[in-house]
Amino acid sequence: MLDSAMAALASLADPSLLIMLLIGTVAGLIMGLIPGLGGTGAVAILLPITFGMEPPQALALLIGALAVVHTSDTVSAVLLGAPGSASASVTMLDGYSMAKKGQAARALTLAFLSSMAGGIIGAVGLTLAIPLARPLVLSFASPELFMLTVLGVSLAAVLSRGNIIKGVSAGLLGLILGMVGTSPTTAEERFTFGSLFLGDGLSLVAVALGIFGLAEIASRASQRRGEKQTISLGGGWGQGIREWLTHWTQVIRGALIGIWAGVLPGVGATAGTWMAYGQAVATAKDKRQFGKGDPRGIVGPESANNSVEAGDLIPTLLFGIPGGVPSAMLLGMLLTYGIQPGPSIITEHLDLMYLIVWSFAIASVLGALLCFLSVKQLAKLTKVPFAILAAGLVAIMLLGSFQEGGQLGDLWIMIILGIFGWLLKSTGFPRAPFLIGFVLAIPLERYYFLTDSLYEGFDWMARPGVMVFLAILILPMIWAFIKFIRARRHTNLDDGHRDEQPEDDEAPLKNSNWSLVAAGIFAVAFAAALISSASFSPEARLVPQLVSTGGLIFSGILLFIEIRRRLHDRTPKADETLAEETEGIRTQPAKAGWTLDAKFALKTFLWMTGFLALTAAFGYLIAVTIFIPAFLLIVARARLKVAIIYTGVLYIVLLALPSLLPIDLPQGWLNTLV
Amino acid sequence: MTSNKSSLEPPGVSPDGTAGQAEQTEQPEPPKHSRRTILATVGAFALLGTATTVLGGSLLNPPSSTEDGDFSGETLEFLIPLASGGGTDTWARFIGTELTNYVAGRPGFAPVNEAGGEGILGTNRFARSAKTDGTEILVGTASTVVPWVLGRSAVKYSFEDLKPVVVNGTGGVIYARAEAGVASVQDLINRDTPLVFGGISATGLDITTLVAFDLLEADVTSTFGFEGRGPVNLALQRGEIDLDYQTTSAYGSAVEGIAKEGKAVVLMSFGQLDEAGEVVRDPNFPDVPTVAEAYETLHGTKPSGEKYEAYKTLLGLTYTYQKGLWVPQETPEKAYQLLRESSEKLGTDPAFQEKAAKVLGGYPLVADSGVAERVREAYTVSSSVRSYVTGLLADKYNIHVE
Repeated sequence: MLDSAMAALASLADPSLLIMLLIGTVAGLIMGLIPGLGGTGAVAILLPITFGMEPPQALALLIGALAVVHTSDTVSAVLLGAPGSASASVTMLDGYSMAKKGQAARALTLAFLSSMAGGIIGAVGLTLAIPLARPLVLSFASPELFMLTVLGVSLAAVLSRGNIIKGVSAGLLGLILGMVGTSPTTAEERFTFGSLFLGDGLSLVAVALGIFGLAEIASRASQRRGEKQTISLGGGWGQGIREWLTHWTQVIRGALIGIWAGVLPGVGATAGTWMAYGQAVATAKDKRQFGKGDPRGIVGPESANNSVEAGDLIPTLLFGIPGGVPSAMLLGMLLTYGIQPGPSIITEHLDLMYLIVWSFAIASVLGALLCFLSVKQLAKLTKVPFAILAAGLVAIMLLGSFQEGGQLGDLWIMIILGIFGWLLKSTGFPRAPFLIGFVLAIPLERYYFLTDSLYEGFDWMARPGVMVFLAILILPMIWAFIKFIRARRHTNLDDGHRDEQPEDDEAPLKNSNWSLVAAGIFAVAFAAALISSASFSPEARLVPQLVSTGGLIFSGILLFIEIRRRLHDRTPKADETLAEETEGIRTQPAKAGWTLDAKFALKTFLWMTGFLALTAAFGYLIAVTIFIPAFLLIVARARLKVAIIYTGVLYIVLLALPSLLPIDLPQGWLNTLV
Repeated sequence: MTSNKSSLEPPGVSPDGTAGQAEQTEQPEPPKHSRRTILATVGAFALLGTATTVLGGSLLNPPSSTEDGDFSGETLEFLIPLASGGGTDTWARFIGTELTNYVAGRPGFAPVNEAGGEGILGTNRFARSAKTDGTEILVGTASTVVPWVLGRSAVKYSFEDLKPVVVNGTGGVIYARAEAGVASVQDLINRDTPLVFGGISATGLDITTLVAFDLLEADVTSTFGFEGRGPVNLALQRGEIDLDYQTTSAYGSAVEGIAKEGKAVVLMSFGQLDEAGEVVRDPNFPDVPTVAEAYETLHGTKPSGEKYEAYKTLLGLTYTYQKGLWVPQETPEKAYQLLRESSEKLGTDPAFQEKAAKVLGGYPLVADSGVAERVREAYTVSSSVRSYVTGLLADKYNIHVE
């Protein structure tokens, strides 16, 4: 075994292999930087190049890319609040908060080091898992997978930072949204309103980029000037590394959770990364800083999202069951070389297995190193006025999210969810539970029904694995309850979440009419889901009805709290905001800062809508050549020279892209005429 | 271009609308641009974009000349109606990359994934608006064939309006978990407790297996909802289900090992349709009896009747002629023949055959001159077969096809 490992390492000394690995790594890093493309894009671009190569070269190329995509997707998440991939939205929570405090370099350093460690631990895990994978995968039957999804959804409560009602409501709404499309058990269409496009469900990339990315752009597009604060590296690299070392347990825990989530088919990178975050929060003594720039919120998830890819390779290679699109493409490539995945791959192609392990580890280090060296340069990006970045970001994010299914509808959904995400963000609803609910909706339902129909009664509850999960779920609840009773006895506080109330600058519209509207939207959405699910067959109806009933109860409570509060402090100011709300975005004399922000955000969404309307009419190229200069000059008030160069560069890139990369530009009505 | 620009501006915002805002902040905002600057810049770029789109369309894609015996300067656009990364996508990209080297004039290759509605959306779009000069090619697969057979109302295409350039089949085996008390085909009937079949969705590729069970009168109940065939295989190994099927390409990784260990028993193969439309043994599983042979073992007579006709039809559609490249019926004969002959050359090239052995799953690329005829026969679904299949779904699985 060791011989093969060493032989594989020695073969990597072959310059042609090293060059392939390097090309793969660089391509992976670049694709990771572009929001929406991620691993799928990286592998899709490299795959055609590999036709005609020898297997080791091709593997080095693809693994190099796969290993580092989740290293660089952090960059835009941390610096711009626009996650490079769905799983990077986890790092965004704390990383972006840290960057806003002027500590972008610190956040990036922590993230890159963790990515590197996650990749290495993932590679080691891959080696060790080879003999263990089969019993591990086989011991996870439907009941265990069901409990795992329950655990994931219940993280919603943990991640709601004190405001459990809002967190659970958001999580439940995410579940409902995740159920749009074909039901996993009966193959009937739910919540699609007869639209075939919705039949496949909403695209994860569109949802994640909308709810986090576009929402962030809208709330910051008013910044016409860059950050004035000088970006400090926080005492140089030495200190960054030292700080990171203090969190080594988080790194290892995150990596292990990542491998595990990768090994189990059907969990996926996004859910796995959220689970790593959830455990970091759940096990922390002092949770107050999470979401506001806690290093533990960066280290664990970053380590996890790299090791997920290594974990994912285990079922791909040993069972031929890919966990995601990138590994599915890798599988396809192996087949073209006549390499048959399956248990026998260990005996027949052990050298290639080790080559994969080594490539993964080396690429992780290489990728992190390249990123690490560019931290200083990257962090300068925050000095550019956000409004100027916003124009390009909108164009790139929409283009990235278009690549997955090639449907313009995905982009409309992205904008609608962007508006919704902005409303959630501004009114103090946590968005993480929403995305978790969305990701886990179908697996939850699937494994519930499989468990229910494959096992008699509640026999499955007695399985040891299930009992472990039950213990993990219930014990903290009991513990929290005891603590709650004690605290109540001692201090007699009636408000469980008092400590996070003051000066929540993340949610400027909390306790305003906006949050009343938000609660109303929740209630209406759940009611609509409940009503429309009445027409489904009994099997397809059960879970949506349970979820929407629960959601109706929670959003009812929310609505009640909001209305009571409104009646309590009905001041003239509240009346004015109401008046402005009904009048829409009419220009009014400047009042409180947040009303201006809200107006600006809604206006930005109108810009995005206009951009998409132009795309639908004239195609992407014309839409970009109109939107970008107009936005730059009118909204960002960039200098004329900047606007011209900016648009010119984008124009050339858009012209060149489709022939260089497998990227399609959305076509408009005009294109069909030409 | 003025109208374009003003339609972009949020309604109700006067040119001075945001003036008050700038004064609010501590530092002076950058000065606003004059209307003329904005109009001129945006207008110029809009013109550039429009010019590129309009002229570029005809400059980059000159009017096609696919009937002149070569495709030089053309691009073959493969419409893959499914998301990237799946089996069909891998197949199409591989075949496309290779095929373009064999077509005279060496056209470019552009795979386009247009996912949605489990393949129906993209295929609908192709049927509605594909170019008929032979440069736009549809990738067909079981996901789009089965809803068409079932007559789903969402399907706006018909394979009768398309011409096959090349087809590639697949095969598969049905196998059982030994511990469930299955040693041979005989154990499928007269059971105390029915066997549990693990499925993805009754209206997908599983339909052929369900019809086979119905034909054999096997004592089987079905549980649907698995994510894919891989997870079903794992569930069988865990003992959660008893019966599964795997296609030929997955056989090596999923079935061969556990069958050797004695944990699973291979019961039968789906077989292949021969040129006369009869079920024959699968060349990849020469020692495994087909569904038709299994019927004979169980019931003593050769299969016949409505159920068997339905099985044969589905076998052709979902296995023997499963994947294919299609062009619209109106495609000029010269362009069509060039594509077909190039595919035939590709399929018979030993170098390609060796390279493609695994991707093609051990089944040849079929593009001989009789292909259109045979495929048309296979893709002709009689109304009695249709009504039997929809009836089976409704009666046994409570699924009503709309």
